[in-house]
Amino acid sequence: MNLDAFAGCLSSASCLITQTSAGLIIGMLLFLVACGVTLIFGVLGVINFAHGAFYMLGAYLALTAYQLTDSYLAAVLCAAAGVGLFGVAFDRLFMSRVYNSNVLMQLLVCYAFVLILDDAVKMIWGAEFQSMGMPAAFALRPLHVLGGLVPPFYVFLVAVTIAIAIALGGLIERTLFGKIVRAAAVNRQMVSALGINTSLLYASVFGLGALLAGAAGALAAPVRSATPGMGVSILIESFIVTVIGGMGSIAGAFTAAVLLGLVRSFGSIGFPLFTDGLMFGLMVIVLLIRPQGLFARRSA
Amino acid sequence: MAHSGFGRPGRRSVLRAGLATGATLALPFVARGASKQPIRIGQPSILSGRIAQLGISSRNAAQMVVDAFNAAGGLDGRTIELISRDSKGKPDEAARVVRELINNDGCQIILDSEASSGAFAVQEVVRETGTLCIHADSETTSLTADPKIRAANAFRCARQVLHDSIVGGSYAAGIAKAQGLKRWMTCSPDYVYGRDSSSEFLDYLKLFEPSVEAVGATWPKLFAPDYTENVTRILETKPQALYSALYSGDLVSFIDQGNLYGLFDQVKFFAINMADYTTLHAVKKLPAGIYSCNRYLSTFPATKANAEWSAAYDKRYSVLPLNWAWQNALAMQFLVEAIRKTGSDDGKVLAGALRGMTVESPFGAKGTVTMRAEDQTIVDYAIGWGVTIPQAPFVEGMEPADWTVITARETEWKKQKGWA
Amino acid sequence: MRATSREALLALLACAVTLLLAAALGSKPLIDTLMRLAIFGLYAVSLNILVGYTGLVSFGHAMFFGFGAYAFGLLMQTGMTSLPAAALASLALSAVLALVVGALCIRLADIYFSFLTLAFQMLLHAVILSWVGLTGGDQGLQGGIPRPRFLGINLADPWQVFVVTMVAFFASLLAIRTILQSPFGYALRMVRDNAPRAAALGLPVQRYKLAAFVIAGLFGALAGILMALYVSGAYPNFAFWTLSGEGMFMIMLGGIGVFLGPVLGAAIFLLLNDTVTRFTEYNGMVMGVVLLVVVLGLRQGLLDVVMARLRPR
Repeated sequence: MNLDAFAGCLSSASCLITQTSAGLIIGMLLFLVACGVTLIFGVLGVINFAHGAFYMLGAYLALTAYQLTDSYLAAVLCAAAGVGLFGVAFDRLFMSRVYNSNVLMQLLVCYAFVLILDDAVKMIWGAEFQSMGMPAAFALRPLHVLGGLVPPFYVFLVAVTIAIAIALGGLIERTLFGKIVRAAAVNRQMVSALGINTSLLYASVFGLGALLAGAAGALAAPVRSATPGMGVSILIESFIVTVIGGMGSIAGAFTAAVLLGLVRSFGSIGFPLFTDGLMFGLMVIVLLIRPQGLFARRSA
Repeated sequence: MAHSGFGRPGRRSVLRAGLATGATLALPFVARGASKQPIRIGQPSILSGRIAQLGISSRNAAQMVVDAFNAAGGLDGRTIELISRDSKGKPDEAARVVRELINNDGCQIILDSEASSGAFAVQEVVRETGTLCIHADSETTSLTADPKIRAANAFRCARQVLHDSIVGGSYAAGIAKAQGLKRWMTCSPDYVYGRDSSSEFLDYLKLFEPSVEAVGATWPKLFAPDYTENVTRILETKPQALYSALYSGDLVSFIDQGNLYGLFDQVKFFAINMADYTTLHAVKKLPAGIYSCNRYLSTFPATKANAEWSAAYDKRYSVLPLNWAWQNALAMQFLVEAIRKTGSDDGKVLAGALRGMTVESPFGAKGTVTMRAEDQTIVDYAIGWGVTIPQAPFVEGMEPADWTVITARETEWKKQKGWA
Repeated sequence: MRATSREALLALLACAVTLLLAAALGSKPLIDTLMRLAIFGLYAVSLNILVGYTGLVSFGHAMFFGFGAYAFGLLMQTGMTSLPAAALASLALSAVLALVVGALCIRLADIYFSFLTLAFQMLLHAVILSWVGLTGGDQGLQGGIPRPRFLGINLADPWQVFVVTMVAFFASLLAIRTILQSPFGYALRMVRDNAPRAAALGLPVQRYKLAAFVIAGLFGALAGILMALYVSGAYPNFAFWTLSGEGMFMIMLGGIGVFLGPVLGAAIFLLLNDTVTRFTEYNGMVMGVVLLVVVLGLRQGLLDVVMARLRPR
């Protein structure tokens, strides 16, 4: 523990700026992955345990697309679309068969895919870790804000993530599609009885969740090297975000992600050896006091 | 061999006794048939998951030596068969794989290409079975230095954290003195290797240059995707120099994310594991002026033999060798030379030959590497530090380490620990 | 009671046959395989007390496997305890851990229960990794686990380790079977099938769940102790989520609804793992496909299928 450093940081503007922005950045990247998990759970009631593997797939697709086109935008779009399509196929061919089974079956189907995808990536892209490198447009010097440092690439990432969060919120709260999705989350028989094709609905939600995971992998690719098996640590973190925010709640995931980001960035100053413990600890406390999470609609 | 407890000789020893009897009864064809049996060497390693590279480059390098030995006629026509098997990075699975290699596949020798936790598990198995074993990838000092963990039938043919720390500390002390770097910080992965490496490096840095002070440490988790909190923590502490034991993909991510904050314009960066080819190639924007130890460089030592070995490896596998590759090539070379010298495949006989053995090697500081008899680990391998540049050969100004300094400090350190 | 004594006889017989067979064949690979089967079989059966009989999908069961292994290894490495004392003490500690963690977890339903168990397991894993002074961190307990003689038993001798492991395995199976066939065991099934009804009938549902959690944790820890003895060490991956996942895999392969299903599942899992590893480094690919086929094709474990066929309709 280093409480002096912690207090020192709280009383310095430059430290506050740097750490707060760092917390936001960490949080946004967390949210980008976690919002797919929470969306799928909110509507389908299924935990997509393979979400980390989707993230990995996104990073690798982006890598290849970037090498072919030399365009970061194309890389992100390709990865998002590719993983989104993969998600639809995964849902139709595999997950849809266990929607009515218990949690165990769903976990096992996803677990099988984690194993398969890790090896598939190794077969296709090789066992060596790979790195995309920073696109030229973002290879800029960090901005100075009141003495604190903020990298332009992260400003872009935060902006994109906030845009995605708003779009997603709008889609769920304001559109017809959103209404149906919300209705399906409450009562799927009723929605089906109204003549809405629930299979299509589920596939599109699952595909959207996968697309978000793929986009997250691609967006982070310039600063995170890719290896087979990279999805696991991401998965655990996004579960923590989902659980704390309340499963199924986009706003909750957003809040929890920012909260965790700040815990990590300030925790690294005050408790450098225990930032992970802080995250798990926070999750345990939330689960015990408010099991349904901070923002959840469902009760646990 | 010390298999005991099953109350009867194993099938293998019965077989061997039978064959020996056959040989003494002067039945030449039986004897020849027996001697044509390959010498089996089992290689437990990590071939899948995040550090599959470790196992793949270890296997590649060992196989090259085996093929050369077999092509040269083997041991009177007996070839070596290398059986590599994946432990998936799980120590209990490593233990199982080694047992299987020994008991089921009839391996007489184990070339252990496991990372550290696996190596400790393998060590316990061979301690029980008495099988000859060379650890080729574990750099943890205690594996051979701690008398409680050491085993008479187990050797290590890999670099050692303590050696690296002494060399790193002394090199960094020189630069600290020349450039007036007083405030140091560390950023190493939060597990045993990272912690040992950081604390021993700082110990020797302070020993060689007492004016430096450690102003802070930050500990990213192993395989962490995000280093933002560590980067900003370093920026906040404002050290003049930074030491890191991060490696491979983690080091690349850290550099990419540090670049965003202009971190490497503000601190002198000492990254002990930078100079390994995959890492150097993967960093798209390698900052100039990172100080690094050689993991493996085809240009250090700058000899013809070293460049040729690297080129041969590259030609065969279409990839440049890594640190794990030279260690395994050397380990296999030690075995092959011991087999040739003794004309035997018996573990005890070979172990006797290995103790104190010196071989000519492209990876030697002065053209040879020795398997030190007292603690059965290698010395005189090439270690040096230099500065990165963004294009090939990636590192320049390599300063080779002085092995008399290393061994003197090492002896002192062991005395402090009560191990010597 | 008669059923119990018949099962005791069966367990005794099976144990004796296994030991005699192993002694007659004297094959080390066989003995290694049987030991691992006993360890993982017991682990899977203990997990199935929760998953199959109580309806609690714990995703953190490896927590007890790892805790048992570490507690036992650390106690033995102090050199102050005898082997049975260390084993009993680690079991007692594991029971306390299970009681505390269980009391917190069973308050939550379904997926939330799974998550909380997972979180506690990851917390334990994080502690093992970062408390290097005690646990050796990621490198595990180093230098082997000493095995002083006790009651004339010498566990430095691999054959005797084998005998002790087998006896512990069959005794544990018998104990778990007895518990599950008792009125308590039937109460657990009722909690699984319809908790509100069980509560309406006056069953203290939460207390039953907690008891099941502690019993499962206890036998999971015993499996961990046997593992520590077998590999002469303890490693962080004993408490990692992948082992919890593999436990589910084993149960699913063998059968959830049949008592010995998880043992069969463990056997298939190990056989598959060992065979596949001999031929390819793409172990995950093969295991993943097998798992998919079992889950989506059979929709239940092998023994479940067999029993469903055998059972008169």
